[in-house]
Amino acid sequence: MLEVKNICKRFGDMYALNHFNLSMEKGTVHGLVGENGAGKSTLIKILTGVYHLDSGEIFIDGKKVEIHAPTQSQALGISVIHQDRNLVPAFNGVENVYLGRRGLHRLGVAVDFAGMKKKILSKMQEYEIEVPLDKLARELTPPQKTLLEIVRAIMMDCKLLILDEPTVALTDKETEVLFRLIEKLRTKGTAILYVSHRMDEIFQLTDKITVMKNGELVGTVETALTDRDSIIAMMTDNWKSMESVRRKKEFGDAVLEVQHIATNDGRVKNASFCAHRGEILGIFGLGGSGRTELLESIYGLRGIKQGTILRDGKPCEKFSPEISLKNGMVIINEDRRGMALVPSLSIRENIVLSTLQNYKGKFLYNTKREMEDVVQKIEELGIKTTGPSQTVSELSGGNQQKVVFAKALMSNPQVFLCDEPTQAVDVKTRAEIHEMLRKYADEGSAVVFVTSDLKEMLEVADNILIISNGYTKEMLKNKNLSAEQVLKHCYAEN
Amino acid sequence: MKKEFNQHKIKEFLRSYGTFFALLAIILVFSALRPSTFATLGNFVNITKQMSILAVCALGATLIMCVEEFDLSIGTIASFGGILAAKLAVAGCSFIVCLLAATAACALLGYMNGFIVTKFGVMSFIITLASSTMIYGFSYWLSDGATIFSGIPKSFSALGTGKALGIPYLTMVMVLLAVVFYFMLKRTVFGRSLYAIGGNTSASAVSGINVKRCKAMAFMLGGAMAGVAGVLMASRLGSAHPTGADSLCLNAFAAIFIGKTLFKEGVPNVIGTIVGVAVFSVLSNGLTILTVPSYIQNIITGLVIMLAVVVQKVTSTQRI
Repeated sequence: MLEVKNICKRFGDMYALNHFNLSMEKGTVHGLVGENGAGKSTLIKILTGVYHLDSGEIFIDGKKVEIHAPTQSQALGISVIHQDRNLVPAFNGVENVYLGRRGLHRLGVAVDFAGMKKKILSKMQEYEIEVPLDKLARELTPPQKTLLEIVRAIMMDCKLLILDEPTVALTDKETEVLFRLIEKLRTKGTAILYVSHRMDEIFQLTDKITVMKNGELVGTVETALTDRDSIIAMMTDNWKSMESVRRKKEFGDAVLEVQHIATNDGRVKNASFCAHRGEILGIFGLGGSGRTELLESIYGLRGIKQGTILRDGKPCEKFSPEISLKNGMVIINEDRRGMALVPSLSIRENIVLSTLQNYKGKFLYNTKREMEDVVQKIEELGIKTTGPSQTVSELSGGNQQKVVFAKALMSNPQVFLCDEPTQAVDVKTRAEIHEMLRKYADEGSAVVFVTSDLKEMLEVADNILIISNGYTKEMLKNKNLSAEQVLKHCYAEN
Repeated sequence: MKKEFNQHKIKEFLRSYGTFFALLAIILVFSALRPSTFATLGNFVNITKQMSILAVCALGATLIMCVEEFDLSIGTIASFGGILAAKLAVAGCSFIVCLLAATAACALLGYMNGFIVTKFGVMSFIITLASSTMIYGFSYWLSDGATIFSGIPKSFSALGTGKALGIPYLTMVMVLLAVVFYFMLKRTVFGRSLYAIGGNTSASAVSGINVKRCKAMAFMLGGAMAGVAGVLMASRLGSAHPTGADSLCLNAFAAIFIGKTLFKEGVPNVIGTIVGVAVFSVLSNGLTILTVPSYIQNIITGLVIMLAVVVQKVTSTQRI
């Protein structure tokens, strides 16, 4: 169905894609894996007409095609669903689905919304998708947004659907819904290119897996004939699968104590926990359970209606990021580009963002000392860069996340609030981040760790606190714990 | 491969400094056309004097643009500053008192804009449009709608018309303030915070930067600089009119936009703003020397701004 031959794409003197080949058939799910910076995004952007290829050919159904613009790509039946969703927040479902297409009209003028809605609903029924079409896109939950985008793709008679890390914002239950839908699309003959860092999903879903490294094709294998370790071996040069490192499990004093807090917006209803020095406290919950909101409210980004927060046993009276930083608390946000980094600024400027005051001189800012500290952090965390003045948006996801950590470390924190710290980073960086979290805990900090990846949670956390529907539930010791046990608590009735 | 690499470098170089070369080109053209009147040291000094008032106003507005906000009232604030200073001068205050009082009042007006914008999270574009109407009302009230000129002492005009060692005081003021603003933006916590806010407001807030305070400060300094510009204008003319400095607003923002195209970061910056102002002033000076009618000057100036922005945009969007 799709045939990509010998395509090359260069940025400056760097090859993002180097003589890459890919062949996909109708009604199959094709996995695409590789570390961050391997060229997956570039390939997607070429297929969707965002980038223009330097050389090589693309064939669809045997016919050679030129893709110069996203509209051309859509006309060819290629749709992509990104990590960053492409919906107009102020439009409702119907308007979003028909975005950029000619809708139905009455008498050739008046837009026939009822007719359009009917058409969409019948398609949704066919594929068993449930999304409220009357709500504005900004009112939808992340999984609903993903589903709405898939509905849009289906309405456009999509032949090739590209899913780029579609489960990042989804919980297991929502992921299941998505997987059922993918299965349905497959049986109806759609070719699906599934891009993900999550190996479990790749193995559960795909028929074939293509592995990329440094913009080159490493190989394409039948999923049934391979296993996780061999795929990882193909992706990385000399990296071995890492097992959880045993640490000393004696905790110190309580550094952060949260008692019965509730947020103004009602997302957190009653949450309590206590994090000790040396502890990695995992908070696990399904999407919409209030885990992100809990961290944000502790950090001072969300208004707290009631409850107490104790830092080193002392109650906090006011909450703001400024105060939290002063109190030795940092947050690693889930939304890296939106909340944690200023993408247009340099690595240097980003790393010192929360500690600018430290470099206040008598009159002028102390750039020399700043530079020394930045260089030291770049080395300490092994950030791959051309230099401290490189723009952050030019870095790969993994290195961007390291910059976020570097920024956090600058304020010498005692409490790390980490929300999905390994989201959309490559396998290697992910292991490095886990290692860092363990190190900080061993050095006497408390790490509060949120991830929607249960496997990761079981690998990293010392204790796991269940949060569900805004309420904190059981605290589980992460010892001989199984995924099923944790999930059972999450799905338990209130 | 090597050639393409060089081409890439050249393109990047042009993108970063194209605006500067455009200014040079304009200067060269005028110099070629009128070597004896345009290309003289005296005229160049004159140009720096002509550009100084707009430059002062634009420097303040640069801070506001840094945080991705607009202040459409800086023109009327400048007019108000001029009127207030002239009024005080007539009442017998010394120039320095006039300057400080007008600047303080204008800083307050700027802060008012900033406070409303940040406190209620409303669009600065609309709020400052409204406040500009209001401030115009103040100016009109204060001046009875007429130009203030009788009773202004000679000493009031010293700064606006005098010179030392052949350099106009106005030029010195511009250079001094440009240097101060340059270091303020590049080398102070405040300046760094402004750029961070302009790049990503949420991330700046997460990093403990007081976004609201910084923005309000930017508005306040923008207002203060507009006030200084208004007083300088009144001092230069020896009179003040309730709408006399209104045109500074759009010209200042146009200059900042041109300045944004200088350097690859594409953010408002002091050197860019000064270059942007220089483009305006050189054009106006050169065209006047060529005795081009003022309406043609307007057409040409407008076209040049369009061209500058379009050319930069075209060269900066790589075909990828």
